[in-house]
Amino acid sequence: MYSKEAESVLRSKGISVGEKIQLERGKESFEGILMPRPDTGDQGILVIKLSNGYNIGLDFKSVSSIKRVGSSAETFSFPKGKTHVRKGLKAVKLLYTGGTIGSKVDYATGGVYMLTKPEELLHEVPELADIANVEVEHLMSVASEDMTYTEWQTMARKAAGAFKSGAEGVVITHGTDTMHFSSAALSFMLQSLPGPVVLTGAQRSSDRGSSDAFMNLICSTHIAAHSGIAEVGTCMHSSSSDDYCAFIRGTKVRKLHTSARDAFRPVNGAPLAKVNAEGNIHHMGAYNKSDLGRKAVLKDEYEPKVALLYMYPNSDPTLINHYIDRGYKGIIVAATGLGHMPLSTSHKEYDWLQGLKDAVASDMVVGITSQCLFGRVSGTVYRYGRMMTDAGAIYCEDMTPETAYVKLGWLLGNHGRKEAEKLLATNLVGEITPRTEAEWRDEA
Amino acid sequence: MTHDYKKLGFMCGLEIHQRLATKEKLFCNCDASISDDRKVLSITRRQRAVAGELGEVDASTAFESKKGRFFIYNLFKRSSCLVDSDEEPPHSLNPEALEAALVISASLNAGVPDEIEVMRKSVVDGSDPGAFQRTMLVGFSGFIVADGKKIPVPSVFLEEESGGIVSSTQESVEYNLDRFAVPLIEIDTDPVIENPEQAKGVALQIGLMLRLTGMAQRGIGSIRQDVNVSIKGGARVEIKGFQELDVMDKIIESEVTRQLSLIKIRDELRARKAKVGKPTDVTSIFNGTKAKILSQQVAANGVVLGIRLHGFKGLVGREIATDMRLGTEISNYARMAGVKGIIHSDEDLDSYGIAGHELAQLSKALELGSNDAFILVAEERAKTERAAHLAAQRAEMAIEGVPTETRGVDSKRLGTRFLRPMPGGSRMYPETDVLPVSAKHLIKKVQSEKVDIYSSRRQLHEQIGNKQLAEQMLWSKELQLYRVVISKTKASPAVVASILLDKFRELSRNGVRTELISNETMIHVFSLYSKGRITKAGIGEILSGAPKGIEAVDMLIKEKGLGRISGAELKKLVQGFEGKDKASLMREIMLKHKYNVDGEELNMLIK
Repeated sequence: MYSKEAESVLRSKGISVGEKIQLERGKESFEGILMPRPDTGDQGILVIKLSNGYNIGLDFKSVSSIKRVGSSAETFSFPKGKTHVRKGLKAVKLLYTGGTIGSKVDYATGGVYMLTKPEELLHEVPELADIANVEVEHLMSVASEDMTYTEWQTMARKAAGAFKSGAEGVVITHGTDTMHFSSAALSFMLQSLPGPVVLTGAQRSSDRGSSDAFMNLICSTHIAAHSGIAEVGTCMHSSSSDDYCAFIRGTKVRKLHTSARDAFRPVNGAPLAKVNAEGNIHHMGAYNKSDLGRKAVLKDEYEPKVALLYMYPNSDPTLINHYIDRGYKGIIVAATGLGHMPLSTSHKEYDWLQGLKDAVASDMVVGITSQCLFGRVSGTVYRYGRMMTDAGAIYCEDMTPETAYVKLGWLLGNHGRKEAEKLLATNLVGEITPRTEAEWRDEA
Repeated sequence: MTHDYKKLGFMCGLEIHQRLATKEKLFCNCDASISDDRKVLSITRRQRAVAGELGEVDASTAFESKKGRFFIYNLFKRSSCLVDSDEEPPHSLNPEALEAALVISASLNAGVPDEIEVMRKSVVDGSDPGAFQRTMLVGFSGFIVADGKKIPVPSVFLEEESGGIVSSTQESVEYNLDRFAVPLIEIDTDPVIENPEQAKGVALQIGLMLRLTGMAQRGIGSIRQDVNVSIKGGARVEIKGFQELDVMDKIIESEVTRQLSLIKIRDELRARKAKVGKPTDVTSIFNGTKAKILSQQVAANGVVLGIRLHGFKGLVGREIATDMRLGTEISNYARMAGVKGIIHSDEDLDSYGIAGHELAQLSKALELGSNDAFILVAEERAKTERAAHLAAQRAEMAIEGVPTETRGVDSKRLGTRFLRPMPGGSRMYPETDVLPVSAKHLIKKVQSEKVDIYSSRRQLHEQIGNKQLAEQMLWSKELQLYRVVISKTKASPAVVASILLDKFRELSRNGVRTELISNETMIHVFSLYSKGRITKAGIGEILSGAPKGIEAVDMLIKEKGLGRISGAELKKLVQGFEGKDKASLMREIMLKHKYNVDGEELNMLIK
């Protein structure tokens, strides 16, 4: 938005954003398209796209004359690919939910647009048509940081429905910020799957030729059609190179880098498989085998009144009272080290023990995980752990805080408090591994 | 001048690219001074063409994408980071680079935008791991005066340097990312240059202005000139990669000759009603051929495709510039598909071992007439089909005239060679990862720092004293180094100039890479000289060892015994020669201690 002053002059001259204008400034003359003003910086600076493609910013006040010389350029529209069914190829359902993978830049205005039509995605990645008969459905356009359990439910229902109507695998495109929450949620909501459910996204937007979106989509489609792994997982780059993607179990994956292509890493385990763009799939561990005769069981209830609480030095134990007062049903603590909360005896005001007891007494389920992410928690090694166990906290084995958080909400939604308490530290869908193999560091 | 350029409708403009000597890169905090950094990692990437402005993929993008190559990027310890490998968003714009760019703009009398808008320009040859270059317009409507002619400079850009190519094959291209994204200035002139000689003059003048700002990076590849050339009836051709200006005029001249020849060929082809046929599979004719180049391909399950060039006889083999035929151009198009080349009928087919009866059959299969030529391409099927298609395309262009192309400098032939089709225009969109940058607060400052060539020249003449030496220094690419040394040491300007001009030239001729000797090292050497610790002859001897750093200089002085002998020590030395006549004393001492004794001092002592 331009400043009020600039807007009013532009309006009086009948000029709108996107139109061709001519400016005079001293002896200089400029002709170009008036671009939208970015939200930041001096709102009195007019941004003009010159005929050589460059934008420049000129102070509205320094301009001696301005006039409209042409109407706006054609509105942008995506080219569309064709969908046609080919015999002998497997059916894969591709559910589009938003995020970087589906956004494109309008090169004329610089605006970012979300893909809204299935054909547009197929045009971007025509290779998909050779891998499977991909049917694209636009489910929603939601940035992953805005996702809630209701979107998880929508995805779960759609995926279950896709298998019911003949798909052999499902790909879900998703924003990357909270993709590991969604993958965990779908792992619990979709049980007894007949085939793979693959979540994928992009760390680099697809307007650039170097985007990881294309290879991630291609590899995900290979996994959905040909891996035979009937599990929910994420499929993203496994290194900075465009060589392999890793298909990682949905409950054992976490985003571990803000921006790199290989941000999604397995935590406390190996990937289920690696796959390249040519479709070579290398299975790397035990998995549930696909069986198209099996019927997916949808358990999509969810209790959103669950919190994820991070422990840190100087953290204020009265924070927990907020959750008690608001009637929360559960808390997952991202505790320190082996699974500890500050239970200071010398600084009473930083002692969480009473708060923990109060939470349990209020009928909350309290689970303990570690902010170390890697490794298993233990409530028996140190005194504080034992005190927390005695107070009723449940140690969540080698689950990440995020997976434990999603699991607790799901347990409370589908099974009730008692059952939730019992099942929180029990493996249901591969979220807890009873043993960690010695080469856990070697993710490759 | 071999052509009447005015009559030919000669049009020529320059694009000058100069790396800036900033401490850090343009959008990250990596070291921008290229040295012998350590390679720490290689990554492999693929890139694809993405739809452009109107859903179209432009010519250049589609062309590179067709090549389907993968790219290897080498990352270095201090001079590359995750921003370079396209794994992290850009940091904010380097203020040192922006200021230098604005000083250069001001020195070109250009206007400066109030706000700088950073753009992304698609790059598809892989030289940028992100597949786009960050670039911004920092100056408009400027001009430079060269040889009394005012040459408009419509735009000045600040952008990221591309990756340094290491090797290239049909399958992959390898790039180093140490110098990638170093700040680069691009200066464009209007196409008003009247002849090749003037092009060289304008390039020299802009180069001088850049060096006078003190912000031009030294060394090979730090400045590159691209030239846009066309003549009436020809087409705009961009010639890339001039590093030395000496031969610029010769190469432009050769390009004009080439375009003239192509226009002539076009006229003949039209008069002959020339046509290009469709690629035809003629593999069966060459089963059992003695022509090795074909038999190998046939044996390896390849195919031979032939194309009839109706009315082309004698023209495919005609020379269009030194060592360059229409056939060479057609072959270069075919090679984009990965084949090694083509065979055409204006060549000596006997020398390939193609037999008479094979030619007869070929003639029948392609329905060749007496005025026709043909092309053969032979390799594995997919590649050959693509190559034949491209070759046919280029042959058809010959009927149209001169194709618009990006061409490279061929310094051996003193001419140009085909690189790729000219990139289209729709490849620019805003860089949304960084904010626009206000330039208002810098406008006054850069006006006061802008370069004044005339006063700089006068100052240099006064400093050095010798007009000829001063003029040489002014136009030398070591001008910046001279100015740094003069400002940091008390060494005599004339001595500094003569070392940087004469001694450097001599050392370069002997294979010493003087551009690798750092400014700091040179300052150290001249400061030792001005303090009387070494002689002028000693400087030359030290530099011949191409020292890498201050310690290396001190080591060389110690190892080679290059310390200066003067004062009491020199007196003692002279006493050892007592009884000899002056001339032989002088000769013997200088013979034995030529690097240690200053001739003038010795002369004064024994006079």
